Amino acid sequence: MDAFINGFISLGDPQLLLVLLVSTLGGVVIGALPGLNATNGAALLLPFTLSMEAIPAIASLVAIYCSATFAGAITAILINTPGTPASATTCLDGYPLAQRGEAGRALGLAVVSSTIGGVLSVICLMIAAPLLARMAYQFTPPEYFALTLFGMSMLASIGEGSPLKNLISGTFGVFLALVGVDMLTSVERFTFGSHDLYDGIGFVPVMIGIFGISELIVQASSLDKRKERVSMKAVQLPTRDDYRQVWKTILRSSGIGIFIGILPAEGATVASMIGYNEAKRWSKTPEQFGKGAIEGIAGSEAANNAATGGAMVPTLALGIPGSATAAVILAGLMVHGIRPGPSMFTEQANFAYTIFWSMMLVNLLFLVVGLTGAKIFARITLIPTQVLWPCVFMVSIVGAYALDQSMFDVWIVLISGIIGFFMRRYGFSVVPLAIGLILGEMLEQRLGQSMVMLDEKWWLMFTRPLALLFFCLTIAALFGPVLWTKYLVRVFK
Amino acid sequence: MKRGIQPADFPQLILILMLVLTVAMIWLDPIIVDKRLDSKTVGSLVLFGVFGGLTFIDLFLALGTVAALLAMFWGERRWHAVVGIGLMMPALIFLLFDQVFEIRFPRGVLTNLWYG
Repeated sequence: MDAFINGFISLGDPQLLLVLLVSTLGGVVIGALPGLNATNGAALLLPFTLSMEAIPAIASLVAIYCSATFAGAITAILINTPGTPASATTCLDGYPLAQRGEAGRALGLAVVSSTIGGVLSVICLMIAAPLLARMAYQFTPPEYFALTLFGMSMLASIGEGSPLKNLISGTFGVFLALVGVDMLTSVERFTFGSHDLYDGIGFVPVMIGIFGISELIVQASSLDKRKERVSMKAVQLPTRDDYRQVWKTILRSSGIGIFIGILPAEGATVASMIGYNEAKRWSKTPEQFGKGAIEGIAGSEAANNAATGGAMVPTLALGIPGSATAAVILAGLMVHGIRPGPSMFTEQANFAYTIFWSMMLVNLLFLVVGLTGAKIFARITLIPTQVLWPCVFMVSIVGAYALDQSMFDVWIVLISGIIGFFMRRYGFSVVPLAIGLILGEMLEQRLGQSMVMLDEKWWLMFTRPLALLFFCLTIAALFGPVLWTKYLVRVFK
Repeated sequence: MKRGIQPADFPQLILILMLVLTVAMIWLDPIIVDKRLDSKTVGSLVLFGVFGGLTFIDLFLALGTVAALLAMFWGERRWHAVVGIGLMMPALIFLLFDQVFEIRFPRGVLTNLWYG
């Protein structure tokens, strides 16, 4: 309870407040720019946080996560281009509503739904994360190994790639995590005699490459697309009738978003798709969906923002990223020497609760920013791609160099960017690669500890109830995507 | 006596898993590419190569040149925008990282002018 109150009091720190305000504004700008999203935005800005203390650094990353996820709705509604993948379903009803001259109403509804979804998810995070962490105290290495394996298996269902390709991508990430000197035996692995590879491949340059540089190359092929912005007078708060129509949708989608977010590796994109679909399924006027139904906007936006808090639950309590952006935040935690997991809620409880309260404040901040500044941020959507992305390129390169002041990291950014582009081109999502890279070391470490603990008898892991449960969930996660794909095909047919 | 997994065990396991998954992918879900890389993408990749080469002369010379070329190659024709991208942005980024974050950049033709 002390940590809960101390975390709230920490928000009184002017420096932290300034960081949160600037990061929220930055996150809204990132989310409003087509092509940039919470994940690549957080990856690009991660090097800037290195000179900060851990609390403002991680608070700024979570601020970008929350506000960029919301801001994707601005472009979705005004130019029919989702600023983030999680806002793709917002386009379906937001843009038709804007075309009817109700852009302000659509944006107002998106802001309010996002805020409610976000706030509810942070409340859930504050309750669920410490409980989950307490439960995880019972875990021994076999349980952790099984849990990490479960987290890895969830990779099958994320991203735009097929389940099989996602698994290959994730396994490749694990493989990259093994490069460098083995910590226990000091044996070099895949270093090819290079001193730069002794410490392994840094996950921050890889993330900047696969999320930032690969997107730059993708943007090169979409330069001919013309952006036409729908004009907007001012953002309008939803009317009482609007609230009456959407409050159930907002609550339902928030619940869906939180649940989807908590699942390891699932994120806001999946949440918004399900939130939108469920809004349509429960609506009294489903035929209005796709033509400007306000329930569609509320369903999608409440779900994608609720997923942000949900995704932070496994990230902070177990050290298993709940989404792609959570993976970047996890990388940020590691860079600052903080190991997420059960001990975080005992040894660094103040830190954890300050982050929770920061997330809460950010969700309220972007309500203000969204309502008052959406018209200004809407102009950002018209920054030409040929001006924006060369600047992103420079920031990516210098940011990567700044990590260790090493040109080797610059090469990693470029190489991983090119690899990431070709992966995406050939149908492989890069998100599993990032998560695999983060979890790889943990997976090996916990397997090794389990083998020692069980005296080399690996099959004994299956005799432990919790580990067995996670193994069963792993199998379900591996075969679930096939059923999930069939479900999506049926729904969006 | 060996105890626990050895340094080579886990990487071997992962490589075998990758091999199995790749064979399964070839059989169940082969890669299909329906169109060739367009000229803008190929050109951008070539510019990355140019960047790699120019970094040996100076990192910021490489950044400014390639960013300006990239903007022009992507269709930017306004000279003030190109100058902004090629000169102003690298200078601002350099000053930000040098003065605020105290990052020391590798010496080169341009950075030597600053470092002396």
